[in-house]
Amino acid sequence: MKNEKLAIINQYKDEWEIGGKTLNSRLLIGSALYPSPANMEDAIKISEAQIVTVSLRRQAAGENTGNHFWDIIKALNIHVLPNTAGCHCAKEAIATAQMAREVFGTNWIKLEVIGDQYNLQPDPFETVKAAEVLIKEGFEVFPYTIDDLVVAKRLADIGCKIIMPWGSMIGSGKGLMNPDNLIAIRKQFPELKLIVDAGIGKPSHATQAMELGYDGVLLNSAIALAQDPVKMANAFRVAIKAGRLGYEAGTMQERTFASPSTPTIGTPFWHQFN
Amino acid sequence: MIKVSVNGEIKELKKDLNIKEMIEALQYKTQGFAVAVNTTFVAVQSYEKTTIKAGDTIDILAPVQGG
Repeated sequence: MKNEKLAIINQYKDEWEIGGKTLNSRLLIGSALYPSPANMEDAIKISEAQIVTVSLRRQAAGENTGNHFWDIIKALNIHVLPNTAGCHCAKEAIATAQMAREVFGTNWIKLEVIGDQYNLQPDPFETVKAAEVLIKEGFEVFPYTIDDLVVAKRLADIGCKIIMPWGSMIGSGKGLMNPDNLIAIRKQFPELKLIVDAGIGKPSHATQAMELGYDGVLLNSAIALAQDPVKMANAFRVAIKAGRLGYEAGTMQERTFASPSTPTIGTPFWHQFN
Repeated sequence: MIKVSVNGEIKELKKDLNIKEMIEALQYKTQGFAVAVNTTFVAVQSYEKTTIKAGDTIDILAPVQGG
């Protein structure tokens, strides 16, 4: 290959589109659980993520001191993806989404409706119900769901352009529990933007999700709870790029048997195994 | 006076306050939040025409960290 062509490959700049925005990073990063606000800010910066998730919680009375967290996020000048974390039914999620649109000034919403307190599994029925209403109200819905093909179908049917199946339980760090389920969703919905959301524990999990052809990865705990969150944010930045490049390059077919990579012709001291 | 729940706490308010007046009376910040009454969002443009009633459940939410 000519050196010029190799140079172009080396300068590879990934560009993709989601929710009407063109991005260069496929990492969607959370803003919770960091040891300090400064650490969060550094981790987000080094990750090069262009989407950060945020939330809404009850405000205490008499707090007239501003909102330091929100000031940091605004200064990062990246896209904000508010979530509906903590909601347990469509009605709560819809109200939270409407409140988030007013506070954060975006029609993006990470729709999260929890169906079980033990494993924090998304409730697919309430998620579909809420998504249908929110889409009609002009929201760009990023639904967090289980890795279930039929649920993905229902969400696509009502107009979701983005679907975010879980890798495994929120905050578990277990990685991709059911890669075959994720592959099925990818194969059935090549036109949708698919993000693996939740359960990622280490960079190799994110790489694996990207190698499956997912468009991006959303994670929080894996970075924020690392020994060194800033270094881990950098690791995820690289891991997600590696996975995407690997997907685009096309991985080799698995073989059942061994196959030598070094040429066998001219092998010295050759002999046949019995 | 009427009793309402604001962010999970029972508060006593004068009768017939609207949302804007309630925010001032309870000394919440005057911006950077959103309000729901009985799990229904109330847009900022509607604060002055929305009267708080006895037994209402009011949520006043502000930005925080999220995953």
